[in-house]
Amino acid sequence: MKNRLQSLFADRSAIFIGMPALVWQVIFFYIPLFFMFYLSFNDSIDQGYYTISNYSSLFKSSYIPVIFRSLLLALFTSLSCLIIGYPLAYFLSFIAGRAKIFYLFLLILPFWTNFLLHIYAWFYVLERGGFLNRILLWTGLIPEPIKFLNSTAAVMLVMVYCYLPFMTLPIYSILEKFDRRLIEASKDLGATSWQTFTKIVVPLILPGIQSGLFLVFVPAFGEFAIPALLGGDRNMYVGNVIVQYILGTDTMSLGAAFTVAVSIILLLFILFFAFIIKKVIKD
Amino acid sequence: MKSALYRILISTAVFLTYLFLYLPIIILIIYSFNSAAFPAAWQKFSLHWYQELWYDRDLWDAFYNSIIVAISATFLSLTMGIALMYFHMNSARIKRWIMLFYGNLIVPEIFLAVGLLTFLSFFSVPLGIPTLIIGHALLGLGYVVPIVYARFSELDYRLTEASLDLGASFSQTFIKITLPLLVPSLIAAGLLVFIISFDDFILSFFCAGSTAQTLSLYIFGMIRSGASPVINALSTLLLIVSSLLVMLFCWLNVKTKIF
Repeated sequence: MKNRLQSLFADRSAIFIGMPALVWQVIFFYIPLFFMFYLSFNDSIDQGYYTISNYSSLFKSSYIPVIFRSLLLALFTSLSCLIIGYPLAYFLSFIAGRAKIFYLFLLILPFWTNFLLHIYAWFYVLERGGFLNRILLWTGLIPEPIKFLNSTAAVMLVMVYCYLPFMTLPIYSILEKFDRRLIEASKDLGATSWQTFTKIVVPLILPGIQSGLFLVFVPAFGEFAIPALLGGDRNMYVGNVIVQYILGTDTMSLGAAFTVAVSIILLLFILFFAFIIKKVIKD
Repeated sequence: MKSALYRILISTAVFLTYLFLYLPIIILIIYSFNSAAFPAAWQKFSLHWYQELWYDRDLWDAFYNSIIVAISATFLSLTMGIALMYFHMNSARIKRWIMLFYGNLIVPEIFLAVGLLTFLSFFSVPLGIPTLIIGHALLGLGYVVPIVYARFSELDYRLTEASLDLGASFSQTFIKITLPLLVPSLIAAGLLVFIISFDDFILSFFCAGSTAQTLSLYIFGMIRSGASPVINALSTLLLIVSSLLVMLFCWLNVKTKIF
């Protein structure tokens, strides 16, 4: 019926109306990605001259630790967000009750405000004369102010801060649909709380955890603004190196090569992650 | 007894988490009313920084640029999204084409920005507001198409059939039946695209060039070169606006398939 009606009434020109979105998507998304790949095989200065020297110079350079550091940072951020975000999601769906909408509102609000302002807000906490130092000095725990800014710790802290909603919301949306009778049944049948948690709850909310991990890990790996503002000059991350190369003079091809190499590493890492999660489900 | 203990434990953890989330913001807001600039301690209440914010020409220029880019990107992505839905209603074979748009959400924004910049600079396209609009409309499509498509799939097809049976043409049916049903999801997607474009930093950082300044880039520059409490005043105002937008978004209560 549907097809017959459609063929009767279908507007043949509809394809032209639908085209702009598809064309836009292909020209400004897929072709540029391909282009980046193409450019990475170009000589930096003499465009049109093909070479793989961009890639070989990447291997020689000291950027392997940068990639490693970014992977560790992304891993730390996603696991910390998971540890903090799970109780929060649990609270929202099972304990908050009628105040839930208020708590949800507070959780979504940061997502809707410029995250640079959140980074900026942390200066007021971490600065030499900031809130944290004042509290610590006042309680007498430290004799003089500690320098919190421009350190890896500051980057890690603010990363967790900025990405927490991205982990909590997917888990929350799964927990919302969770049938609590399953927990009762499991306890009735003699399982301990820990057993119920690992055998019933975790497998069921795993899709939420998975998408949360994905939503945090991928952008955290390429994060640029937080390390640039809070990390100081010594600790480079993938995002900073990309910016340095791409916006530098005559290093765009090298930057493209770095971006391609990094995205392949990211892809492999995600596949590895997915493989482990699959293994966990099977056991 | 034991479950009561759990509850207290979790509630404490949640309280600490919200403290972690909002303490910096609260301090930021309090200091926007301080008469002296930060590191100095609290002196006395003043609206001095709000006054200075009002007269900050560069900041307002950046603000208007952001608004222009956000409105254009929202308009473009919504229009293209609606047109795509019209095409979708006409042709049954579009499903795998829709999948093309999910890429924007999967690829990290920095890679997308690098790709776009290398592409634009290869053809020596001058960077500026137009290139920003192109990039942000692309980001917008990645949200508009999945959200509106999800809503479209939930629509009752019998309404379309009834309309066609009663003699309406395809375009009449789309304008009078389908589009009104899509309105909540269109508003939600539009709000989301607007705010994402308005707050976007990475893509703007790459594609703005040296002449165009958006609010995010301006804030970034100011934080780097030592910010004044003008930014605090601005943050306070922006937080109020965002709160209103979030309330509007929650009130629409559209199932967005982003999370």
